[in-house]
Amino acid sequence: MSRGSGGGYDRHITIFSPEGRLFQVEYAFKAVKAAGVTSIGDKLLDPTSVTHLFPITKFLGLLATGTTADARTLVQQARNEAAEFRFKYGYEMPVDVLAKWIADKSQVYTQHAYMRPLGVVAMVLGLDDEFGPRLFKCDPAGHFFGHKATSAGLKEQEAINFLEKKMKNDPSFSYEETVQTAISALQSVLQEDFKATEIEVGVVREGNPVFRVLSTEEIDEHLTAISERD
Amino acid sequence: MGDSQYSFSLTTFSPSGKLVQIEHALTAVGSGQTSLGIKVIPVIAAANGVVIATEKKLPSILVDETSVQKIQILTPNIGVVYSGMGPDSRVLVRKSRKQAEQYQRLYKEPIPVTQLVRETAAVMQEFTQSGGVRPFGVSLLVAGYDDKGPQLYQVDPSGSYFSWKASAMGKNVSNAKAFLEKRYTDDMELDDAVHTAILTLKEGVLTPAEIEDYLQEVE
Repeated sequence: MSRGSGGGYDRHITIFSPEGRLFQVEYAFKAVKAAGVTSIGDKLLDPTSVTHLFPITKFLGLLATGTTADARTLVQQARNEAAEFRFKYGYEMPVDVLAKWIADKSQVYTQHAYMRPLGVVAMVLGLDDEFGPRLFKCDPAGHFFGHKATSAGLKEQEAINFLEKKMKNDPSFSYEETVQTAISALQSVLQEDFKATEIEVGVVREGNPVFRVLSTEEIDEHLTAISERD
Repeated sequence: MGDSQYSFSLTTFSPSGKLVQIEHALTAVGSGQTSLGIKVIPVIAAANGVVIATEKKLPSILVDETSVQKIQILTPNIGVVYSGMGPDSRVLVRKSRKQAEQYQRLYKEPIPVTQLVRETAAVMQEFTQSGGVRPFGVSLLVAGYDDKGPQLYQVDPSGSYFSWKASAMGKNVSNAKAFLEKRYTDDMELDDAVHTAILTLKEGVLTPAEIEDYLQEVE
């Protein structure tokens, strides 16, 4: 005679449910979607402090989708880890190593009861010495994959469908085309045209491995190019 | 190991004497992608070895498949594949690699397969008894070659392990095992084993067209 649903605790801490699921991890995924799009319409709020795009080192960037507080914790730890890596090993932490470290930390939270999983999906980007530009996505379950393109958040499935169509025949985009595809994906999915102050864009590119957040003027240029194209 | 705030085990006995968390962990394994292993010991010793194989279905075409490697090397002559939760398998791979290195450093020789399997299984068992942790949601197939010849072990979330001539785990495991039972012969050779492994995965995975392509290449 089995005990049924784990005494009700399977929803509160990360132990298995009878179907072999981890409810806390699944709820963490829901938290990522529930975080919503931040609006910068509030007069008293300092708009420069509202960001989801964080430089981790000069060469690595992280886009955090989900609970802001959890995102900040993750970014602090990632920055520390990347700096220690540079100090210990004498070379910059590669993108996949950072992604793996974030994912392994997330896995610990899914297995140990004393810490809940973070409600954040982290996308890590950078320029790898051997493999060129790389994008990794890490989720609350501890999965991480390299991506040619991806999305996270409330409308992620629609955005992924949009990107799959664009990337279907493995095209090679120029820098401008890449940025514009990303912005168009956001616009098409959220069904609104943005002002340059309403989105954030971060890039790394061949020939300029420094992670850079684009300025409002640069974003404006891209938005103009997109509207002229359409 | 064991978390100070949780000085009690989360995996406890039910009135019927079962450890339900382990059973749930096995359910998690059973919904993971299929993987399998085949050991061959034909008469010609030169042709013996072990094959492990797994499904690698990615969630989207946007995922870069070169960034994913499910079959991992633990030592130059021991490899491992899993079914179940990928993140949990990474923890075990990391710990096993460290144990193998420590053995090497102490005894100046490569770790025997049985030893590594025993130590990995011990880790998995710890997580079924220590405070504040849940069992691993993976079963592992460890394939290795040492002085005793080719070996294949399956380790379960409970920490129990057995040696197999051929085994499968994950989704479709009963079909896969039935297929392996039919096809397994004691005098198979390594190429036959690779062939059989792919055909077994096909039973629930690859399309007939993909199998056709492979068979054509082989011929």
